[in-house]
Amino acid sequence: MSMHTASEIIRQLNEAKNLAFSSKETFPQVLRQILNFVNNPEPSIKLWCSTFLKDSFQSDESVLGNADKMDLAMDSLDSLIILSNEKHLEIFENVINSSIVIFKLVFKYVNENDGCDDVWAKLNQLKISLTSKFSTTFPLDSSDNEEHDRYRNLITKIQLIKFIVLVIDYQTKSDNDEHFNLNSVHPNHSLIKRQAIQAEAHGLLDNLLSVFEYDTLVTPLMNPLLFQLSLLVKRKSQFIPKILSCVEKFDTHEKLQSNYQTLDEFKLSRKYVDRLLRIFIGYVFKNRQLPSNLQQSLGQKLTILTERGDDVRRKNILAAVPQDANIKKKRFDGFINGSKTLKSLDYKNLYCLTNPADELNNFDLASLPQHTLISMTIAALNRVDPKKLNKALGIVAERYKYALSNSSLMDGTDNEKFEGDDDDNEGFYDSGSVYSLPPPKELSYQEKRDQINLIIQNFLRVSQMSTEELEDGSKDEGESQSDGVSSELTKIAIKHWQKGSWIVVLTRLATRGMNSNYESGSIDEEKNNELSDMIRNAIFDYFLENIHSRIDVIIEWLNEEWYSEVVNKELKLKNEIKTKILQDYEAGKVEDLDGEINKQFATLKENIDTPQYSKWSAKVLDSIIPFLESKDRKIFIRLLSDLPLLTDELVGRIKSLCLDPVRIKLGFLSLQYLIMYRPPVKQACLNILQDLSESDQDDLKEEATKLLTKYK
Amino acid sequence: MSATITQAVPDSLRVCTVCAANNNRSMEAHKQLKDAGYNIKSFGTGSAVRLPGPTIDKPNVYQFGTPYEDIYNDLMSQDCRKLYESNGLIHMLTRNKQVKRAPERWHANSYAGKFDLVITCEERCFDSVVDDLMFRLHNNDYNDNEVKQVVHIINIDIKDDNENAVIGGNGIVKLVGMVHNFKRQEKKKLAEGTIDDVSDAILEDQMMGILAEWQKDHAHLQTIYTCAYY
Repeated sequence: MSMHTASEIIRQLNEAKNLAFSSKETFPQVLRQILNFVNNPEPSIKLWCSTFLKDSFQSDESVLGNADKMDLAMDSLDSLIILSNEKHLEIFENVINSSIVIFKLVFKYVNENDGCDDVWAKLNQLKISLTSKFSTTFPLDSSDNEEHDRYRNLITKIQLIKFIVLVIDYQTKSDNDEHFNLNSVHPNHSLIKRQAIQAEAHGLLDNLLSVFEYDTLVTPLMNPLLFQLSLLVKRKSQFIPKILSCVEKFDTHEKLQSNYQTLDEFKLSRKYVDRLLRIFIGYVFKNRQLPSNLQQSLGQKLTILTERGDDVRRKNILAAVPQDANIKKKRFDGFINGSKTLKSLDYKNLYCLTNPADELNNFDLASLPQHTLISMTIAALNRVDPKKLNKALGIVAERYKYALSNSSLMDGTDNEKFEGDDDDNEGFYDSGSVYSLPPPKELSYQEKRDQINLIIQNFLRVSQMSTEELEDGSKDEGESQSDGVSSELTKIAIKHWQKGSWIVVLTRLATRGMNSNYESGSIDEEKNNELSDMIRNAIFDYFLENIHSRIDVIIEWLNEEWYSEVVNKELKLKNEIKTKILQDYEAGKVEDLDGEINKQFATLKENIDTPQYSKWSAKVLDSIIPFLESKDRKIFIRLLSDLPLLTDELVGRIKSLCLDPVRIKLGFLSLQYLIMYRPPVKQACLNILQDLSESDQDDLKEEATKLLTKYK
Repeated sequence: MSATITQAVPDSLRVCTVCAANNNRSMEAHKQLKDAGYNIKSFGTGSAVRLPGPTIDKPNVYQFGTPYEDIYNDLMSQDCRKLYESNGLIHMLTRNKQVKRAPERWHANSYAGKFDLVITCEERCFDSVVDDLMFRLHNNDYNDNEVKQVVHIINIDIKDDNENAVIGGNGIVKLVGMVHNFKRQEKKKLAEGTIDDVSDAILEDQMMGILAEWQKDHAHLQTIYTCAYY
């Protein structure tokens, strides 16, 4: 139901209410109509109904006639039973306050009208629904700790005491019949069973008196309880021994300071409860003739309380005094941070049960050696109380549920972090079985391709970031994702991370990373090569996007390409030679095994070729040369000087530069550079010059001949 | 009536202050709370209004309900009016006349309706109020329609002289403000859904904390507190 319609309904209900309260005759009809709205799913409407019922039943005869009110009380029982289970603080308070009037009316009605089983059953149902909630924190959920719950939702308990004392008052005999009590119930009533309801009342009183036995002081509950007990003392002599014996045994100075109150609050509590005890005992003396033994012991108690009161009055109660050392605190059995909601979506907040501000939380356990961690964990698990562990896990589970049901937490990029979590399976945990990790799944070729693509994209993304960004990023991640391991990993990885680190890692993945022991020419090797080529193409494309500024990347890559190819092939060659010579050695044909291997290797390694390197360096030159301009002199010469191997074929590509009138200078400069600084390709360069000197273009011919004479 | 123009506190609890004669301490606090815009009344728990007379054994005694104006005129007509001027009685009554008509007796205050917060100014008055409410609990339920309400009763011990009445009144205004602020803030948090545990927003659950905080700043104003039924 939308807010609009809810507020519209409430507007109409208010009109109906005004009508009811202004016309005695229409009141019953209006109230019965309104009872239909109790089942409305909208909480604001339920709240409205509960308030209306409370106001109606508390109104006097001038607004609603007594006979009508009696009828309406019975008609409202069902609705109140429903509302009494509504988890809403104000609704429940309204239900209690309505029920106080209704209980009196309906009880008396049933007494006068024997045989109305249905009404009596409903009244009992409502009664039980209310009284049973005194020992809970309803309508609030209970916390992780009984001690904490003593101090939670006191208003509801304070309200419930009223109702419970009323039930006790009606269901037991009074000393005189000034007020309705069990003596007023018709003897032999078929529904109101004296013994049963009396026993129930005694049970309820015991339940109330259990507050005296708490080992801590809950002043806002204790004092109103004493207040209500004054009514029972006044009316019911049968309860006097029980109540007064509780009072007699009760001593605020024997109570413990709760973990849920400060020392100041505890000191004030003792004073406040002592004062109310004093007033209570005074009230008892004034209104009751007590047996002499009780008179004496309570008299002594009163003296002690008065002395204490006078003593504390003379001092600043909150000032520290030596007696403070005698104050004992209750053993803490809860969790400092027992919150069942999750403030931010990370593991630290999910699991933290200690004070979130505690420095200890920043200690990274991942920095400890694994065996220490294991023995610590085992020792901790051995020592922990299973009940407490259960509670702790319960809190974590609640937080987890909260996070899942709270879309605002799940919004944004953090989403993936949780969805991928394996903890989802906790319901299937079987403590009997030994758990072992499943073997890794073999990836299909397509999956491998997808992964490689992902890796490439990630690295290219990193290449766009500045080092500052990388560092900032690592900090942010460290904060938001505070599980120690990954933040530490990120830190280490980033520590030595520099602008060009990505290309080192990526090229090595394409070359050494993809290198396998697959037989050469096999399908597997071919497929691996295809994966490598995906990376190579990506780097190549990256270079093409901006050949002028990305020449470093190319040099880095082609060097790695050449080096890994040579190293890999040398290794293979050596192994081949070894296998072959080992056979000869065993056959006695060779005497110096190592010497022979080295000798053969030295001769054969001259023949090692680098087809991958040649292929990609040719591709690079082919793509760069058409775009070179004369101002690119520096980068081109740098490329030529830094490439690990120049073949005649590669050098031959410079020729096209010399043929271009605009870039002729660049072409000759490159040749001249190579002749001077790369002797292995000197001859290839001279061959090109030779070619050019025979050209039919005069300027070409002249320049080529000049250089030829100089360097030949 | 009071010359100070104040804006009424819209969400004011029903507050009353109580001392013995409803003349000095409860009236100073009444004035201050009224000036601050609260919904406020005041009462005395004594059997009659007793004010200092020419000697200690000759007090001026009036019935509750005697207008302050009449008391004032009576004192001014006496021979020792100079004494009343110098001991502050005249000043007190001049103030009282501006606050309300006459002193009212706690025990006969049913016409005034119920209160959410009762502040007494002396332990004796606190005892008297609690004892009386216990009596009413037993005595008043002939009326089946009546449902008792939760009331917070706080005693703040104030010495019965002009100066201390003002200091005590300041403290009371501060405490009443703290209770109202708490209710407002928590209501806001509840509406926004930013509260972790609803218990944090329940006044009865947090009252001890509020009192301890207040007491820390008001070491010379001793307190007693109880939650009861009105």
